[in-house]
Amino acid sequence: MAQSTQLDVKFKDQVTTEPGGENLLRCYSCGTCMSTCLVSRVNPEFNPRRTLHQVMLGMRGQVLTGSTIWLCSACDACYPRCPQHIHISELMEAIRNIAAREGIERPGPVAVVNEPLCSGCGICVKACPYQALTLVLEGKDVEGVERRVSQVNKQLCMNCGICAAACPLSAISVEEYSNEDIAVRMAADGWFTDQGPVKPGDPRVLVFNCNWCMRAEADWQALAGFPPNVRVITIPCSGRVDPQFILLALKEGADGVLVVGCDPGDCHYLEGTRLAQGKMHVFENMLKQIGLDTGLVRFAQIDTDERGKLPSLIERMVADVKARAPAHAKSTYLGEKHD
Amino acid sequence: MVDAARHPNIKILSYSEVKRVEGFIGNFKVLIEQKPRYVMADRCNGCGECSPKCPIEVPNEFEEGIAPRKAIYIPHSQAVPLLYTIDMDNCIQCYKCVDACGKLDAIDFSQQPKHTWLDVGTVLVTTGFDNFDPSVIEEYGYGRYPNVITTMELERINNSAGPTAGQIIRPSDNKLPKSVAFVQCVGSRDQRYNEYCSGFCCMYTIKNAVQWKQTHPDTDITIFYMDIRTPAKSYEEFYQRAREMGIRFVQGRPSLISEDPQTHNLFVRAEDVGLGQIIEVEAEMVALSAAAIPRADSDQVSTTLNISRSPGGFFMEYHPKLRPVDSPTDGVFLAGAAQGPKDIPASVAQGSAAAARAARILTAPKWEIEPIVAHVWEDRCVMAQGKKCGICATKCPYGAIITEAGKAANVTPAKCHGCGGCVAECPHNAITQMHFTDAQVIAQLHALLAHEPEKKILAFMCHWCSYGGADNAGTSHFEYPASSRGIRVMCSARMDQDFIFEAFRLRAGMVLVSGCHPQDCHYITGQRVGAERFEKLTKRLEEMGVSPKRFRVEWISAAEGGKYAQVIREMDKTLKSIDPQTLKEEIERVRPELERRLRRLPEIPDVARALAAVAVE
Repeated sequence: MAQSTQLDVKFKDQVTTEPGGENLLRCYSCGTCMSTCLVSRVNPEFNPRRTLHQVMLGMRGQVLTGSTIWLCSACDACYPRCPQHIHISELMEAIRNIAAREGIERPGPVAVVNEPLCSGCGICVKACPYQALTLVLEGKDVEGVERRVSQVNKQLCMNCGICAAACPLSAISVEEYSNEDIAVRMAADGWFTDQGPVKPGDPRVLVFNCNWCMRAEADWQALAGFPPNVRVITIPCSGRVDPQFILLALKEGADGVLVVGCDPGDCHYLEGTRLAQGKMHVFENMLKQIGLDTGLVRFAQIDTDERGKLPSLIERMVADVKARAPAHAKSTYLGEKHD
Repeated sequence: MVDAARHPNIKILSYSEVKRVEGFIGNFKVLIEQKPRYVMADRCNGCGECSPKCPIEVPNEFEEGIAPRKAIYIPHSQAVPLLYTIDMDNCIQCYKCVDACGKLDAIDFSQQPKHTWLDVGTVLVTTGFDNFDPSVIEEYGYGRYPNVITTMELERINNSAGPTAGQIIRPSDNKLPKSVAFVQCVGSRDQRYNEYCSGFCCMYTIKNAVQWKQTHPDTDITIFYMDIRTPAKSYEEFYQRAREMGIRFVQGRPSLISEDPQTHNLFVRAEDVGLGQIIEVEAEMVALSAAAIPRADSDQVSTTLNISRSPGGFFMEYHPKLRPVDSPTDGVFLAGAAQGPKDIPASVAQGSAAAARAARILTAPKWEIEPIVAHVWEDRCVMAQGKKCGICATKCPYGAIITEAGKAANVTPAKCHGCGGCVAECPHNAITQMHFTDAQVIAQLHALLAHEPEKKILAFMCHWCSYGGADNAGTSHFEYPASSRGIRVMCSARMDQDFIFEAFRLRAGMVLVSGCHPQDCHYITGQRVGAERFEKLTKRLEEMGVSPKRFRVEWISAAEGGKYAQVIREMDKTLKSIDPQTLKEEIERVRPELERRLRRLPEIPDVARALAAVAVE
């Protein structure tokens, strides 16, 4: 029970005076933000509408220690739809700033730098959409040259994994979606082997699916309903896809790889899908140069609101791969040519 | 309508447009353009033989565009007068209608617009509203998905006289939908489109849902709403009935309507605020209750009749509580949704009220007006001396001043509302306002600044807003320092720069000019006349050497007592923070320039006498 005597009536004033918090009091709790946002699919606790209401009531403790304020990735899908013109991501930022000043740390997983491996090249710093990475002086190396390494600001990191995919030395890892985790998920149940669940003759299609590119629950159910020769690996963002994963999959015996991201304007992590776009373009050129069939690796960007798009894309991919190459093409591709 | 058409004292001019309105209360002259129908009114008997023969089909406006009409048509079956009209924008002049008309020979393609001047005593504006076009709200898919319609369109589909004869069908496959979702507040209560509440959508949505449920009880009906507003008599009971019939009400504003491309079924996604969870409702049809918006031609009507518009764009009433059917122009009244969104009972009530207000004027042999009107001293007006001027006429929000070369400006007292804008703007001091003459204001000014003027804040307040604000500060017990002295005039437009110069000449410590917020101005554009002047004056005072801290312009509404008190508190604090010696030096330095600017003030009749009467220190 919320008791008025335990509410901090000044909390809303504190939030409205914080930059970004100005329009808080306009909120009339219509729920548009909540139903636009996809985070609640992953985390049922997440509810920006409720958080705003709690701030207005003065439920300081619940708001600052709750997870909602940290889960907003500032994708701003809700902002253009909000009938009261409340910039919710900025509001969340304002509340986070208050929380940070009170020493509250972002809960949940963040990127981790493996410092001995880091060369201080700074590629991750440029890639991070949240400016959560900076290069810091770590000391001097054996030759007495100053050594810089990348450092993660835990308050800003959204654990999207874009840095991990960008790092040429695999020196950054994200919790729950590390390179090893993904490799394990790809090969689970002996998927690449003849003893695995895939029926002989079926083409193996590996799908890297961004967590945020589908809104319709029916589509998620359709994904789960594909036969075992289609393996869907859901990752935080298409920007997380390291070309290494694709090469590994092809080498191990996948017949096709589909990478799926959001439309560039809809990216949950601001720049992730754009970075993936660039990366996949380069990758395709690379496949061409080494003389491989580029149709076996595809990149698609889908509109979050389009129903049934991803299942139909996968179906088409499976059919195309089947028509193109004989099943189990392990020997024809990377395996032998480039070993 | 039929009753109105038969009434001996009512003349209906349909298919006509008011082009110009001249004159004033009790004596308006109205220019009316009767558009050519290309059908002779005295011959057409409304038999309707012509329309089926016409080969042209265009969207029917009365049916919200969901059914066709011919190029020769009547707007709807109960149209009064029952006269066919040819829509020349779409007619291809095949003359099939002429053949169909036969012996009646009522069609005349040579008709031209007819202009008539009418003498009328009063004008009632009852131009209604338009519907918001929801296709601009992309996430709702109106115009993109065939089965997303507006509730007004559904109203026609649901109507037994409508295009489907009351059969409810959905556009994609012409089948009866088994489920429907209504979405409320589409384009209203929305900062992106219209901030106001459209008011009657809740009720007409519930009505359509109830009607549907009565004829097809198996239908699954969901209404997505933010707040259901049922404030009028018996409305809540109707809402209750709808709930008891099994219509599902979900509190939550949908963020997305998506479509299954195969079935054309729709998925409405919203947060059910009661659940605190996202809910997705599959519906075979979605009806959007779109906002009522001001008519597209409102601007033209407001210019023709000289009536202003409220922030939402509807026509503005004289006073929201006390004179809700009067417009700011005397003799012009407002009724129905033209003044603001309202439902049928409220429109009927307001229409009756407006008719009664108009009858008051029409039945009176004489009409009294406020005595505070402007008066021109013809001998001082430079227009009479053959010079070019006419500034007063450009500043008058009511068109009450007529200027003609070689003649002194002429004020029509019945049109003048007494804002005083012309008086303050006249560069030759040739106009005065009765009861607010320069002499009277200056006499007040002298009296208020008679003792220790350096320690005083002289506040000019407009009658309708800031004076009310100051009053509100008093009745609400908002304390403010006793250093302020107020002078009330009718409008910020009346606050002559000479008054401010004179106040500073008399060593006033601070001067505040305050009026209504622009949208609240009681005199249509009076506030703007004042605001423009004060903007220039602020710069001029600074050039002259008056510290900008000493002159302040604030817009304070009658409800903003707190703001008034705050402004005075701030000004008092600033005044006290200025070093008295510096203030004294500034006053002495600026005085000669102020005196030079004010040298012609005593030329105004009575001002000299007023100046002589008060003892100046």
